[in-house]
Amino acid sequence: MLNNFLKRAVFPIALTLTGFVIVSCMVLYSFIKADLEKDTIKHEANLADTIIKSTRYSMLKSDRETLFMTIIAIGSQEDVEHVRIFNKKGVIKFSSSSDELNRQVDKKTAGCIGCHSVSEPETRLRSMESARRYINEHGSEVLAITAPIYGEETCYSGSCHVHSPDQYVLGTLDIGLSQETFIQSLASLRLRMIVFCVMILVLSVGGGAALLRRNVLVPINDLFDYTASLSRGEYDTPVPEGVSEIEDLAKTIHGMVTDQRKPGA
Amino acid sequence: MNSNQEKTPSFPRENSDVDLRRQEILQKIRRLRSRTQVGFWATAVFTIISAVAMLEKRLIPPLSTGIREVLGPSPPVTLISIALVVYSFSALTLILARMGRGSNSYRGWAHFGYLFAFYCFYYYAGELQENFWAVFISGLTILCLESYRVWNYCVEEIKRAEENIARLDRQV
Repeated sequence: MLNNFLKRAVFPIALTLTGFVIVSCMVLYSFIKADLEKDTIKHEANLADTIIKSTRYSMLKSDRETLFMTIIAIGSQEDVEHVRIFNKKGVIKFSSSSDELNRQVDKKTAGCIGCHSVSEPETRLRSMESARRYINEHGSEVLAITAPIYGEETCYSGSCHVHSPDQYVLGTLDIGLSQETFIQSLASLRLRMIVFCVMILVLSVGGGAALLRRNVLVPINDLFDYTASLSRGEYDTPVPEGVSEIEDLAKTIHGMVTDQRKPGA
Repeated sequence: MNSNQEKTPSFPRENSDVDLRRQEILQKIRRLRSRTQVGFWATAVFTIISAVAMLEKRLIPPLSTGIREVLGPSPPVTLISIALVVYSFSALTLILARMGRGSNSYRGWAHFGYLFAFYCFYYYAGELQENFWAVFISGLTILCLESYRVWNYCVEEIKRAEENIARLDRQV
């Protein structure tokens, strides 16, 4: 009797709730992850802009030493994987890592191909398109942003200028930030969502099943036992108590049986 | 009361009529028994398709630029995911409603089609790996619930038909 009720009532509800809660949590997690990724890229693009703006004067005055020390200082920060500036030809001129200075960057790599996929390179890209991810030699994920350094009027109108007015892009800043903290945040978010999901399922399925058992299944089972004992002739068996409807039904059955037993019935 | 349920037979007195009735019920039991397995097949095919989707990078070649140009840009992944949640919710609600009504029609193949479409959309958007488990668990839940509904209906009908045969046998 209990098994049949469990099979027909509790199992479909438990399956439906479990499946739907898991799917909803997965979709919610992917939404949150996408939003966080967008925010991280935006933050990194802002950081790249800040570096370009703060080093602008050093570039204008061709103060290479100050520029070099600024790049080294930014690169020494925790989570900053690399900072480099390369010129229009793709040669690294300033870098937080001295061993890659004067090295030529492959324009076909991720982060470069976005602009250099066509013969006439794009000069403007949205931050999402200029971002790239890769795994570094230590096995940790890095999010890198390339930000073009655009030529301004002061760049070619000054007395020490070396650029012509028609040179639109003077070079590129490339900054890479370690994603370890971001990945750890996602892992803790995932764990919290799993715990939350399990708690909801235990409360809804477990609570529902417990209430159903207490208020429906056990009283019906008691009624079943009661009618069986009446059919065996045990008329003194106490009426099952707890749920008023079941109690009334048991009393009615008891009345019917005792009426039938009366002489002349 | 379920209109599809087998009504208690008016037991015929002639032996030939009883045999005929018995044959009809036995045929119905055979039909119901084969029907109990229909859900299993849809779930099995869905699992195979899901295995292919999971190994997408190794098994399915990327779409050519020409095909992508013909088909146009993919819908945003957020929209596909919202559609998946809405679809799962409505499918589960409809299955539970059908379960309450005692309907015997199997809709698992239609759900298989919808789920396959979700795999295709995510594949086209290049986000199949990220969203594979959401489609798989949604599909498994829907198809298992639909299979369970039809299986439960068939088992009850078989039990009822067997009781009718026993009643016919007692009468003979």
